[in-house]
Amino acid sequence: MSNRFVEQGLRSPVNLTWEVTLACNLRCRHCLSSSAEPAANELNSTEALALVEELHQEGVFQINFGGGEPFMRPDFMQILDACHQRGIMTCISTNGTLFTPELVAQLSKTSMVAIQVSLDGAKKETCETIRGKDTYETALRALELLTQSSIPTSINTVLTTDNADEIQELQNLANQLGVTLRISRFRPSGRGADNWEELRPSPSQLIEFSAWLAENENIRTGDSFFSLTSQERQGLGLNLCGAAKLTCCVSPDGMVYPCAFLQSDRFEAGDLRKNSFKQIWDSSEIFESFRGLRIHSCEDCQRFDQCHGGCPAVAYHLKDDIEGGDPECLERCVTSIADAKEAETAA
Amino acid sequence: MSAAGIRLHPACRVRQEEFGLLFYDLRGPRLLFAETGSLLAPEHFDAMRSKDDLPAGLTAQQAKVLKNFIEKLLKRGFLREQ
Repeated sequence: MSNRFVEQGLRSPVNLTWEVTLACNLRCRHCLSSSAEPAANELNSTEALALVEELHQEGVFQINFGGGEPFMRPDFMQILDACHQRGIMTCISTNGTLFTPELVAQLSKTSMVAIQVSLDGAKKETCETIRGKDTYETALRALELLTQSSIPTSINTVLTTDNADEIQELQNLANQLGVTLRISRFRPSGRGADNWEELRPSPSQLIEFSAWLAENENIRTGDSFFSLTSQERQGLGLNLCGAAKLTCCVSPDGMVYPCAFLQSDRFEAGDLRKNSFKQIWDSSEIFESFRGLRIHSCEDCQRFDQCHGGCPAVAYHLKDDIEGGDPECLERCVTSIADAKEAETAA
Repeated sequence: MSAAGIRLHPACRVRQEEFGLLFYDLRGPRLLFAETGSLLAPEHFDAMRSKDDLPAGLTAQQAKVLKNFIEKLLKRGFLREQ
């Protein structure tokens, strides 16, 4: 089942990811954008505020802010305020390092913000292996501050081989804190590509996780375009890649891409310094190609209705072929485990 | 005492699409695709109004469909009744 309204094309994205800066005070090994120092030509305050107004005019419902660490950007609160004044809902993905009671109080003034704090392990050593020293306590402190406010908060975990065995513990921790758990898929982009072999979950871990997810229907995943449970996704017929259909990504320097995991020249849909957002959304050839993307090689698969070929970004990064189907899909995981067993028996 | 009215829930947004109205609920987040064409404008839900207050010029059948639709929006939490 697919969503015919989405297939027809929407006038603008439902939400978009805006990486407001590449500046980050951490060097997480799985970072999708290799964040560290600010990008050379990041949108200035005037340009950023103009973009907020433009997205408002286009009817974008929500902006998911990421980076980098968004709070590293000195004018970030100004950008947030501009969104909220226009009724645009926001979700901020943060490492939590810069959270203070004052910041939380300031953020609490609106009911239009949700916050995701990254935590990549239920155990301190697991989290710190991926994110660096002291990140576990810092994230927990931020979460505790947020739980004292009315801000909808979630723990955001990227599934890796290191934390795959701690997912239930993370869920317990989330329950204990009174926040939700959102689990994202690890993709080989940015610094994540450099550390892919070390951090990627094994096929059996992915299968186990999928089974766990099926039993824990309240867990949200960040796959496709925004956080939905698998049941909600299925119900809406949105179990498809939402890139260029429901969402897209704006990079710190104002380039527009189909999604945050495809921020390379090849997937550049447009430059906000040269074209309006509307022109890019309506006319970009890259976006057109994503809207027409059909993973024909997967059509005979029994799971096709559930995934529609999976994530083109993973297919691109691992096989340089966005039309080739997701190389890490569950069906391929099952096959790969069977092949490994067969090879073992033969040997 | 004034009669109860309806309006968009503060956590929800709505916009016009070619097929009709697209509703978004941050609390899920949830989406609702409503094939209303141009029968109802998003602004219909901006201010408090009676459930029966529908745009002029509708046929009886269209009004019935829209009333059911508004009940559905209320039930699903996209609208708030006060």
